[in-house]
Amino acid sequence: MSEAILVGVDLTKTFGELTVVRGASIAVREGEFVSLVGKSGCGKTTLLSILSGLERPTSGRVTIAGKEISGASEDELALFRRENVGFIFQSFNLIPTLSAWENTALPLFPIRMTEAERRRRAAEILDRMELGHRAEHLPAALSGGEKQRVAIARALINNPKIVFADEPTGNLDTATGDAIMAILNRLHREQGMTLLMVTHEPELAKTADRVIRMQDGEVLS
Amino acid sequence: MYYRYVLKELSHHRQRMLVNCLGIAVGIALFVSINAVSAAYRKAVSLPFKNIGADLVVQRPEMRAVDSGQPAQSMRGIRLPISSQNLATDDLAKLRAVPGVDALSAALLLWEFDRGGFRTIMGVDLAQPSLGPVRVKDWLAQGRFPDREGEVVLEKHYAKFHQTQLGDAVAIGGRSFKVVGLLEIKEGSQIAAANIYLPLADAQALLEKGAGSVNTVYLRLKDPSLLDRIKAEIVRILPGVSVASSDSFLEVMGGVSRISDQFALVVSLVALAGAIFLIIKTMLANLVERAREIGILKAVGWTGADVRKQLMGEVFVQALLGGIAGILAGYLISYLLGYLSIPVSTPWEVNLMPAFAKDAAAAQTIRLPVHLSAGLIAASLALSLAAGGLASYFMARRMAKMKPAEILRQL
Repeated sequence: MSEAILVGVDLTKTFGELTVVRGASIAVREGEFVSLVGKSGCGKTTLLSILSGLERPTSGRVTIAGKEISGASEDELALFRRENVGFIFQSFNLIPTLSAWENTALPLFPIRMTEAERRRRAAEILDRMELGHRAEHLPAALSGGEKQRVAIARALINNPKIVFADEPTGNLDTATGDAIMAILNRLHREQGMTLLMVTHEPELAKTADRVIRMQDGEVLS
Repeated sequence: MYYRYVLKELSHHRQRMLVNCLGIAVGIALFVSINAVSAAYRKAVSLPFKNIGADLVVQRPEMRAVDSGQPAQSMRGIRLPISSQNLATDDLAKLRAVPGVDALSAALLLWEFDRGGFRTIMGVDLAQPSLGPVRVKDWLAQGRFPDREGEVVLEKHYAKFHQTQLGDAVAIGGRSFKVVGLLEIKEGSQIAAANIYLPLADAQALLEKGAGSVNTVYLRLKDPSLLDRIKAEIVRILPGVSVASSDSFLEVMGGVSRISDQFALVVSLVALAGAIFLIIKTMLANLVERAREIGILKAVGWTGADVRKQLMGEVFVQALLGGIAGILAGYLISYLLGYLSIPVSTPWEVNLMPAFAKDAAAAQTIRLPVHLSAGLIAASLALSLAAGGLASYFMARRMAKMKPAEILRQL
């Protein structure tokens, strides 16, 4: 059994009077595909934000790849995300003015490297997503499925230790959603990608190695 | 900073960029044109002195000009102007000794009245340094300058009006002089513009007990920035004299020239402040509009400094484009204003004509010498970039408060 790459211990998040996450503890092993399920508003997206370093918990601690990030500053967290974490959002979150390859290479822009190297790495990963021919297209010219594949490519470009996916098929029709899930499953199976996916669809959750349920801000299993 | 991203962002939001550039361009255009016109006014009033190579004109006015209790001089025949009585040899020596005086030339200005009217006569010694009326030798249109007794040069328009030509004889103070040259007064040089020019000795001979007389002294300073100090020193050592400089023109002109001189900087800076306010408001509005983008950038690992550099790059390009457009527009406005002719009134003390003369008070018109200096262009560019820097500062402050999770949660 491999080591836990992500550990969240006794995490709580409150917004004013409202407690969204209550004493949640979670661990994800390297190469594991875990889905986090629960009803809308149960706190799973907030927990994902805390675990990925997008948000700081009110209490508790988060460790990714042996490094505790709970007390890190905004900029330290940004650098940590750049080097260790990939994100796939429900609404794709592509930059509308940049082409598919530039969106893919977005995490590499602040890193000192040649334009050719950035382009090469983006092209390579877009080819793996079967989007090489759409590299120069703007997001507006891509279908929903293509946009999400660009977002997956962007999440993978920095070779992250763990990928966080928040309802990755939420904005897609069933067929396209299935295709995206097939890609994520393939990446997990063939490349050992560690994935923590938030979903409210039990059918999708079942494709994961393990399912963690949440209710009213608490982790049930 | 990722340049491709900057350019793509700007070209994608052309309208937004246009508003920002236009805001800066309007402010800079106002700054450039107001300052260029203000400088042109200052240059226009300095022309009369600049053309004759002098910084100061020293004269001793008739006591009656400053004290009405004094008896009036006769207004017949040859006489000294009210503003220019004889200066003693001792006065000239004192002027030469004033620290900071580089060169001095003295002339004798005379008025002659007869039934037909009056004329102004300038006695010049061409052996003196080339400043003041000595300069007119460079403005000869025909003939030559007198090199012997009994010869004169006439101002071209005066000669035409009196139908006098080269070789003709003119009577001055009852004596006959031969016209050996005609000269054309350079635009704006009215303080050296007499009707008749002749050797200083001849002019002195026309005046009763005039041997050795001079009444107008032109001074060139080693450092023109010391003008006010030297003026004060001359008034101190030679009480009762009048000392005129280009400032005297500015005082007479007043109005627009004084306003533009005193308030040009303030007015143009207010215009620029308006432009900066506009660009800050637009940029901050843009920031709200682009919150999602900023959230994405931060989420994928851009630090606050990375995002700030990117946004500053966009502001910098807009400020630069706005600045260049503003300078071009300012140049165009100034160029068009350069076609305006402005009246430059001559202060009474350096007006060669009698105050009661029909056109004595009439101002000479000069085409506004508008010129865009390299300094003004550099200052305008620096100001537009500073405006961009200020906008960036406020933007960065606002952006620092934007947390990626909060932004993405609101989407």
